[in-house]
Amino acid sequence: MAMTSPHDDDASNDLIEQLSDYIDRGEAPPDDFLNRAPENRIAFDALTRFRSMAQDILDEDVSAEPDRDDSWVAGILTNIHREARAGRSIPVSHSSPKADLSLTEGAVRGLIRAAGDSVAGTFIGRCRLEGDVATPGSPVTVNVDASVFWGERMPQTAQRLRDAITTSLLHHTELNIVAVNVTITDVHLRRNAKDADS
Amino acid sequence: MSITGSDERSPLGDATDAILAARAADGDLRAFEVLVRRHGPLMRAYATRILGSNSDSDDVVQETFITAWERLPELQDPAATKAWLMRITSRKAIDRIRARKQDQPLGEWDAPAPESESPHQQAEAASQRERLTRALGTLSEAQRQCWTLREIGGHSYAEIAEELDLPPSTVRGLLARARQKLMQEMEEWR
Repeated sequence: MAMTSPHDDDASNDLIEQLSDYIDRGEAPPDDFLNRAPENRIAFDALTRFRSMAQDILDEDVSAEPDRDDSWVAGILTNIHREARAGRSIPVSHSSPKADLSLTEGAVRGLIRAAGDSVAGTFIGRCRLEGDVATPGSPVTVNVDASVFWGERMPQTAQRLRDAITTSLLHHTELNIVAVNVTITDVHLRRNAKDADS
Repeated sequence: MSITGSDERSPLGDATDAILAARAADGDLRAFEVLVRRHGPLMRAYATRILGSNSDSDDVVQETFITAWERLPELQDPAATKAWLMRITSRKAIDRIRARKQDQPLGEWDAPAPESESPHQQAEAASQRERLTRALGTLSEAQRQCWTLREIGGHSYAEIAEELDLPPSTVRGLLARARQKLMQEMEEWR
């Protein structure tokens, strides 16, 4: 390591602090500052280079990692508390008065997502049941966000989603669905095409 | 080669982060799994950079995702899921360092790092990434953390100060020293 006197070290530290302040504000230092001494320019170039190296380093770290088995994913998923998202309880009628059946709101949202995903080129996002789902026969509105594949015709796609969701809920629940509102919030592309090629 | 983890096994693999995060907030575990596969490897790399080794990075990633699952319903902007996950990752990594050091405040173990390696050894390092990694290895832990949070994580001085529980002026000083040390180290390898 190059030997520097404590005095040089302090001066150099001051310079780095000054340059860092510029860089961290996203500004370039004034030219006359950079031209005042060669070490100013050298230090600025080095700091800028470190920054651009830092931007890429995590991606490079990931690429350098050997392939791993799947246990880390399983380890995460088994430690998650799924019950937390059950939501409200929706009564289901039954011929026996002794039976007390219900469906969770989370399960109904699952039905809605599955119905939406079955429509080609779409994904359901956030999904909300508005209305008093706990009281049989109460009017319920379904509001969903959706993503459509780039280039799909949105009005037609939204209509297909509405139809699929309505049919599924009619079939699987006793909810009195008065409206299914679809908001297209996103457009997606095929993400894994590059992976498949590599 | 994709820069993020592969998530092609799920039919949801083409969905955007915003859609996946909204679904996961609604309780869709399959959507959450796609987020785990997509961002887990990058989060692990980030945790490793902050921790200085990968010995605890799997635990940090696991804790991060468990916290993320619980807090997803509070996420205001699902499109910013990746940045949000990275922030939780850095926090969990710092918690772990703190636990390692027990009750010692972070700033006080700005201990000297190992001596620089000889130029001969350094010349063997092939890539820029390896050279930078070696240079980072010569920093003190506090310097490396400040540098990592600033340059890789993109945090402001104020955020780093809060995360590390240090005054902003100390963060500024640690960063300047980290940068100065990196300059010296990288200089010697030219």
